Amino acid sequence: MKGRVYLDHNASTQVHPEVVAAMLPYFGERFGNPSSVHGFGREAREGLEIAREQIADFLRVAKEEVIFTSGGTESDNLAIKGVAGARGSGHIITSQIEHHAVLRTCEVLEGQGFAVTYLPVDGDGLVNPDDVRRAIRPDTILITIMHANSEVGTIEPVEAIGPIARERGIPFHVDGVQTFGKVPIDLERFGIALLSFSSHKIYGPKGVAGLYIRKGTKMVSVQHGGEHERRRRAGTENVPGIVGFGKAVEIRAREMDAEAVRLTALRNRFWAGVQSRVQEVRLNGHPTRRLPGTLNMCFRHVESESIVLGLDLKGVGVSAGSACTSGNVEPSYVLVAMGVPLDWAMGSVRATLGRENTDEDIDYALEVLPPLVERLRSLSPAAVP
Amino acid sequence: MNYSETLIDHFRNPRNAGMMREPDGVGEDTFDGCGDLARFYLRVVDGRVVDVRFQTYGCGPTIAASSAGSELATGRPVADLVAVSEQDVTAAVDGLPDERLHAAQVVAGALRAAARDYLSRRSAPSGSEVRQHA
Repeated sequence: MKGRVYLDHNASTQVHPEVVAAMLPYFGERFGNPSSVHGFGREAREGLEIAREQIADFLRVAKEEVIFTSGGTESDNLAIKGVAGARGSGHIITSQIEHHAVLRTCEVLEGQGFAVTYLPVDGDGLVNPDDVRRAIRPDTILITIMHANSEVGTIEPVEAIGPIARERGIPFHVDGVQTFGKVPIDLERFGIALLSFSSHKIYGPKGVAGLYIRKGTKMVSVQHGGEHERRRRAGTENVPGIVGFGKAVEIRAREMDAEAVRLTALRNRFWAGVQSRVQEVRLNGHPTRRLPGTLNMCFRHVESESIVLGLDLKGVGVSAGSACTSGNVEPSYVLVAMGVPLDWAMGSVRATLGRENTDEDIDYALEVLPPLVERLRSLSPAAVP
Repeated sequence: MNYSETLIDHFRNPRNAGMMREPDGVGEDTFDGCGDLARFYLRVVDGRVVDVRFQTYGCGPTIAASSAGSELATGRPVADLVAVSEQDVTAAVDGLPDERLHAAQVVAGALRAAARDYLSRRSAPSGSEVRQHA
């Protein structure tokens, strides 16, 4: 039996060895506080600014437009609350399938008197740009739509939504946590004013992320204290993490395109293999407009978590579409918004591939998954005629 | 999530899975929160359960608890089985995480329903009993 196969890269990734090597000196001799004026501080500051430059170059923006945060969730919170706080009141447009970092933040703002429109998606998980146009009101202060959904991988038409926002003078925030470093993002052409992006989805360390803030975007800070990050985000920067993030982005710049081609082929082979071996299975997400390594499938008459546990016992790590907490299994809100029938949605499994996955990994997954599904179905009363 | 070795063993190798033709008692229970469903079939001789089969749709712990519950019921007097508790089922899988206690609830509920079905068939023939947790 093969050792362990990790197919959960949308959750997190293994830190690239070159990234670890780049970070190490900043735990040791370059440990200083980047705000300090002495040499120790300057060394740390230098690491920080090199990383900022690596990321700015990758995004083709000015260094001053990139700030560092503690994670994608903080970036989303800062972008949305920052714009909302600068305006004081108004209307926000988002979608029903955003990450909780966006949805919960919008809900909190609703509690503070802001109005929020949660746009529906179609069966493939796509937001319709015409819906965005129709939802705009005279008091709309922000449009926030994700670049790609983490569960199903559907890539939203941000290139069509951004120009609508720009035309109306409304800042456009994009949660790019799942796409940054995986698929191209053209901030200028897409009309993006704010972009959230994260390190640990692209082989960098956890606890570090970024927010691109286009020059001139009016926002307030959410966290108060010192004058770090151009007064956008108080708090001593996570220097080793940021240095690692910069390195991870530099590596993505050279590996991203070829990897996207390879992972798309691998993912498609996985899906074709599942389809030919398992009955009553469906693909979730857009057939082509989708993150390269993302494959979300529903197995009818089987519950997600039993598949996840069964695969885990075979050394394969995937994630469940439905999550059971305190005996309350919620079908994925993303699949529900896409109109996936409940008896299918309860059996959704997400496999997300990454740089270390090989053909052999997929062969192994295809060897263990079909008999597992068959065995679980044989136990299920629903599957028995 | 950490599961006991006993639970994992029942999940990997479920005992007594499947249907039973013309059972002496049938009962099921569902958990509204997650749609988990367990159904038990009993063969009873002289007031004692001699054979059990189950069919379960649910997460790993619910499948494992069904298998353990089927062993728990085998050989037991039906009069006892009507009082089987969640704690009995939880103990049979060597414990459940707090977030998975519903597995024992569904299985205990289905076993009790099957036992009651047997008893009610004896007094007056009727269909199988179905219970539902809120």
